[in-house]
Order: sequence, then C-alpha cells, then structure tokens
Amino acid sequence: MGGAARPRGRALEMSRFFDLYWQRLRRDRWQLLSWVASIGALAFFATTAVASAYGDDASRTEILHVATATPAILILRGLVRGPALDAFTFFQIFAFLGVLAGLMNTFLAVRHTRAEEEAGRAELVASTAAGRWMPLAATVTHGLVGNVLVAAAVTFGFIAGGLDAAGSLVAGLAVGATGLAFLTVGLLASEFMSTSRGANGAAAGVVVAAYLLRGFGDATGEVSQDGLTVTAAWPSWVSPIGWGQQTFAYTGNRLWPLLLPLGLGIICVSLTAVIMSKRDVGASVLAGRRGRTDARPSLRGPFALALRLQQGAIVSWCIGGFIAGLLTGALGAAIQQVSIANSSVTAILRAMIEAQGTSMTQLVIAVLFEIGGILAAACGLQAVLRLRQEEVAGTAELVLSQPLGRIRWFGSFLGLGAVSVVLVMVFAAFGAWYSLLVSGESAVEVSNLWETAGAQIPAALLYLAAPAAVFVTVPRATVPIGWALLALGVVLGIYGGMLGFDKSLRDLSPFTHTPVVTNTGTDWSGGFWMLGIGAALVTFAFLAVRRREVGTV
Amino acid sequence: MDPVIQTVDLHKNFGRVKALDGLDLEVTAGQVHGFLGPNGAGKSTTLRILLGLARASSGAARVLGLHPWTDAVELHRRVASVPGDVSIWPNLSGGEAIDFLSRLRDGGADRAGYRRNKERLCQLFDFDPTKKGRAYSKGNRQKVALIAALVADCEVYLLDEPTSGLDPLMEAVFTREIRRLVSEKGATVLLSSHILSEVEQLADSVSIIRAGRIVDGGTLDSLRHLTRTGISFAQDQVDVQALQGLSQVHDLTVAAGRIKFNADSDRVHEVLPILGRLGVQGLLVAPPSLEELFLRHYGDALPPQSEEAKPDGGTHHGRSRPPAGTGA
Repeated sequence: MGGAARPRGRALEMSRFFDLYWQRLRRDRWQLLSWVASIGALAFFATTAVASAYGDDASRTEILHVATATPAILILRGLVRGPALDAFTFFQIFAFLGVLAGLMNTFLAVRHTRAEEEAGRAELVASTAAGRWMPLAATVTHGLVGNVLVAAAVTFGFIAGGLDAAGSLVAGLAVGATGLAFLTVGLLASEFMSTSRGANGAAAGVVVAAYLLRGFGDATGEVSQDGLTVTAAWPSWVSPIGWGQQTFAYTGNRLWPLLLPLGLGIICVSLTAVIMSKRDVGASVLAGRRGRTDARPSLRGPFALALRLQQGAIVSWCIGGFIAGLLTGALGAAIQQVSIANSSVTAILRAMIEAQGTSMTQLVIAVLFEIGGILAAACGLQAVLRLRQEEVAGTAELVLSQPLGRIRWFGSFLGLGAVSVVLVMVFAAFGAWYSLLVSGESAVEVSNLWETAGAQIPAALLYLAAPAAVFVTVPRATVPIGWALLALGVVLGIYGGMLGFDKSLRDLSPFTHTPVVTNTGTDWSGGFWMLGIGAALVTFAFLAVRRREVGTV
Repeated sequence: MDPVIQTVDLHKNFGRVKALDGLDLEVTAGQVHGFLGPNGAGKSTTLRILLGLARASSGAARVLGLHPWTDAVELHRRVASVPGDVSIWPNLSGGEAIDFLSRLRDGGADRAGYRRNKERLCQLFDFDPTKKGRAYSKGNRQKVALIAALVADCEVYLLDEPTSGLDPLMEAVFTREIRRLVSEKGATVLLSSHILSEVEQLADSVSIIRAGRIVDGGTLDSLRHLTRTGISFAQDQVDVQALQGLSQVHDLTVAAGRIKFNADSDRVHEVLPILGRLGVQGLLVAPPSLEELFLRHYGDALPPQSEEAKPDGGTHHGRSRPPAGTGA
C-alpha cells in the first residue's frame, strides 16, 4: 500500500507546488509583464537609437575616444569594448538593464517572502500542507521564470534592433543571470529585515551599490593603446552587474563569468534556507526591539509623525547621497592617476577638454551629482508613497478622525519630503566637498560644488509635486505612476542623450532641464521653470485634497 | 431637544453600488444607541460619513448641529471614534500611538489627568503599551483604538464594532466604561454591531440597518417581541406534551438526544416554570441572535451571498489579492 501511496503523495506535492507557483504568477502577471516588456523594449530602442545617432564606425570611434579620455562618462555607461555597433550598444545600455533587472528581482523576492510574512498571509499558507519550504521553492521558481523571460526579451530586443544573434543571446543571458543574483539577494534581505520596507530598501541598496562599484571599476580601468577598449579594474569584479559586462557580449561572447552570479545565487539561497530552518514564521534575524510606554514629548502633530515614519528611509537616502558624494573625490583622484600614461590618443583628448575650462573632476561631479539627484527625487517620491501607504493601511483614517485638518496632514508629509530632498543633496555635496579636500583638489571646483548640488533640487522636487497631484486625484495609481514617472525621467533625461533619443522626447524628463553649472556662468531658467510647475501642481493638490474622501481605494 | 446625530435621506453610491439608500437615523443626547445590521449593510459607511471621512452622495447629516464634511476639524474636537478595521503603525509602540492620537486632540492639556486616565485604561484592558504595533494581535490593536477614544473627553463617541477581537472579559470592561461615560459625563454613544446580544447589554435604543436603509428601530423592549430565544435540554424521559400546546413555544424538535424549541423572547419567563416542573437536565438558553431576527422578519428579501462570503478551500487562501497600491 505504501508503495502505491508514495507516487500519489508526490503528485499531490507537485500539484500543491504548482498551486503556489500559479498564485504568484497570477498575482504578478501584469507587473511581471510590464517589467519584462519595458526591459526588452529598452534593449530594442537603445539599439535603434544608437544606430541612428551614431551610424558609422567613425562617429562611434570618436565618441569612444572622448569616453575613455573622460572616465567620468563611463560611470553611467559601461565597459568600452570597441566601436562596432553591437559592442557599442552593449556598452551604452547593459549596466542600466542590469539595474532594472536587479530592482525587478529584489522587489519580486521581497513581495513574496517578507511582505507576505508581515501581512500575516505567509502564516496562512505555512499552516497548510504547503509547509515551510514549498512557498520558498515556488518564489524561487517564479523568479527563475521571470529571469528567463527577461533574458529572452533582451535577446529578442537586441536581435530585432539588428544586432548579431549569438551576441544578443549572451547579452540576454547576462541580464537574466544578473537578475537572478539579485533575486537571491532579495530573498536573503527578507530573512534579515523585519519589514518589507526594510528588506526592499536593503536589497535595492545592494543593486545601486553594484551599479556604482562597476562604475568605479570601469572608470578606473586600463585603457588600451588605441583608446577603444577598457579592461575593468577590480571593483567591477565584486559587482553582479560587472560580471554581466565581463561576458564581452558581441566581442568575446564568454559565458564563464556568468558562473559568478549563479554561484552567488546558490550561496544566498543556501543562507536563506539555513536561516529559515532556524527561525519562527514571522521572525527575522534583526528583530524589532521593545517600544516605549509613552511617546516622547516631540511626537506631537502630523509633521512629527511623518518624520517618525520616514526617518529610517531619509537617513538611508542621505547616506546614499553622501556615498555618491564621497566617490567624487576618490574617483577624481583615481582617474587622474591611472590611465594617462597608457593611451596617447586619450591623453591628447583629455588635454583638449581641459583646455576648454572643464576639468575631469568637474565632469565627475556632474555625473555623480546626477545620481545624487535621482536619489533625492526617489526620496521625495517616497514621502508621497508613504501618504498612500498610510491611507491603505488605515492609519490615515485614525489620524484624520482626530481634530486635524486634512491640509495640515497632507502639507506635513509634503513639507518633510521637500526637506529630505534638500538634505540628500546637502549630504551629497558635503561628501564630495570632504573627499575633494582630502584628495587635495583646487578650490575652484569646490566652489561650484554647492551650486551643482543645488541645481539638482528643482527636478527632484518635481518628483514630490507630480505624485502628490496623482495621490489626490487617482489615489489607487499613486504607487505605480510614481515609480513609472521616476523611471521614465531617468531613462529619457539621463540616458536619453547617449541613447540618441529625440530632443523633444528627452525634454519630457525633468532631469533634462537641470541647470548645468560651468565656470562661465549658469543658466538657471530650467530650474525656475520646474519650481514653477512644481508649485502649480502642489497648489492643485492642496485644493483637491480638501474635496477628496479619506481611505478610499 | 435636537437629536445629537441626525441623518435625513442619506445616500452614498460607490459606482453603481448603493451603499446607503435613503438612511434616516436619529440619536438622542445622553443615550447609547445601537446600530445593528449584518456585514455590508452600510454601518461603516454611515459612521465614516458622520465623521466627515466620506462624503454623502445626497441627503443631509448633522452631528452636534455641525456638518461633518465641512466642519470636520471642529467636529472631531467633540467626537471620539473607533474605526471598524483598526490598524496602527508597525514601528510605533501602542503607548506611543495612544499618546500621539491624544495630542492631536487636545495638544496635551491636563497632562497628569490624561496620564492617570491612560494608565487606568491600560490596566483595565490588560494592555501592554510597550510592544511595537506590528507585534499586536487583532484584539490588542482594537484596544489601542479603544483606549485612545475612551481617554478623550468628548460629547459623542462613534464606535464601529468596538468589541471585535476582544475576549468576553474585555467586553465586560468595555461595557462598564461606556456606562460610566454615559452616566458620569452624559456622553452620547453610537455603537455599531452585528451581534444583537452585545448591543442589548448597553443600548437604550437601536436602529436596524439593512441594504443601506433603516428597517426597524426603537427601544430595545419594543424590539423584544420580534426575537425568539432558543431553549434546549436533554431528552431523557421528559414528556414534551406539556410544551407542545403552548402559544409561546415554536419549532419544537427532537434531535441528537436533545429537545429544542424557540420561545418568544418577551415570554421566556412564562416557559421556565414549566421546564422546572418537568425537571429538565442540561438546560441551555441561547440569547436571540440578529441573524435569527433577520431571517425571521426580513429573510424573504435577503440579498444573495456575495462572492467573497462563500467558504473557500484551505489551499486557496493564498490566492487572495492584496489591495491595489500597497507595494512600495
């Protein structure tokens, strides 16, 4: 009898597993589809844009010479592997595709692990026959399938754009493998953090760190004699995105570097399993502490509440800004030392650029402060997302049933958002100032520093104002539209230029209009325009929030 | 004397769904008013409109003579409330949440008195205020909202199923505290519930809501004739002939070794002597339930069970979708 029952038992297990997997797929179907479609579309449009903007080898060679001569440019792009169209496209877009795949995967991992535990739904499932391991297996499978789809979308995106098929497959696999590594990072973060916010923040932080590390490695890499290839320095080798670049898709088509993300994945999943086997459902490694019996006297009024709820996030964003700032000086110094001797072409070009009054350090500042500006924008966006979360959770209703005007409540969260946007840039500028001072830079560039940091603020504030307007009109769409606006702004405004997007398209992004600080003077009109638009949106939001019901879906 | 709470022909539509369909509600000052109805009848929607959190599609609502939507802040100074679905901040302790909500109310005036009162209520409700919000059970989250509402010195209390998740001991504490509010301070309480016996203990009068309109109301005594009390006892060697002919006895059945019947709630005392004479064993008297009242009087027009209310297989629980827009 036992022999007959066993296979049936296994079949039952399999059907339970598919139930769990199907539930994940069903819940995520639109979200996953839009991530995969956007990543694939970005690969395709990047190819066509590069082909139309830099149509021949000569123009691409010229651009690559400029890029290797000014390594700051490489931070945002990638590893230079020659002027051929396909290699050039891979250089331009791979790192960004890696970040997108990374964020998709960390969010996916946390959504089905820590977020489920936090909401109590995991307990519901764990107390059925599904048990402890099957949900994890279903989540890993779900992520694996997602990454296979991403790899396929990137491969077809590049092939449809007219690139070499074998190389496109390698590039697709590289993006998929990078995503897979970050999937497991998200799983591990979920074990350590007790909230989904914390886990999402930690895992996304790893993605950004991986991006910056590979930027650092690419920018300080060794430039070949002709100035058309770069050999990455060691920081690229500790980053999953860096590993993906090492496939040298189209020029080398090596697959062995992808063993590294797979290995990292196996390590992270094993660690996750070890921790899970030792802990209670709902518990975490970094457990929450006991709270206070009475509130501190300072916890009074809606602004104090907003601060209390957001302080962790604001501190993290400020640390992010500070690190981006610190990199400036370190990178500036590293670039000055490393590659001049190696390439005559590069040295000449660099001398030409510096003769125009722009120093290498200034370019580094401009690039890293752009990243700081994105962090500040995300920080502003989070203030509005927090409002929406308060509403969905029901705590907004609790607060607004007290004698507290809706305007004050709304205004407090927005006000704190504006303050935190400024804070992130202050920390970025302070980090840069400190690191430049340590590396012995001249004072001329340092004076521009604070101006450059200030120039990022109008665009970032727009990411507070626009989501606020969405929050009061279409509350349900606050979260997806908020992130979509940010992603679109980054793609069009910061990557749009090098991808060769049309100017009218790039003009849609706030980041396009960020004032550029130069030694000869700064045109602030773009900043003032954005401040004006932001003020109009916020005014509208304040008028509309009075007419809006609370706690509606 | 003007009623403290008054709604006239209140309508609230969510798209094509009519949550409220001409609701007329009146609550007299100094009374505990029970607001009875099954899930989804419109109780919470009514309370949210009375608090100015939602806006009526048409009709009028007044609380303390104020318009809830336009005078919300002024109103909230004089009204305390407990929402139907209590959630608190995961990273604030219960004590912090109570303090914070109270400070929004009065800015921390009368500190010693407030502190004393809060400690007293925490003790009464056996509530540990040092835990973080995410660590509380449903009953303890409910206590946070209850204590924050009861500690406030208000004229009107709007309570949406305030005892859900509380154990019977805590329900008794709650009942005592509400009685104290009414007798000592002359407060007015509107208490929604779907459990008739709970309202019975407290309410002076009730309104029964179904599908967005008030279908019945009045004092509890006047409703008593509408309900029947379930009585059952062991079958062994009892001659039920004596019961069968009585006019206050209905639906007499014998099943699984027990005899069961329903008696008119206002005439139970007439049946008890007969049961005494019969010498019945294992007597159980079940209080009348709202469900029973509804089935009896409005059962013909009960709306069909909605999709969510249907029992679901255990393995399918995980399929429930979270509300849109919760991801970060």
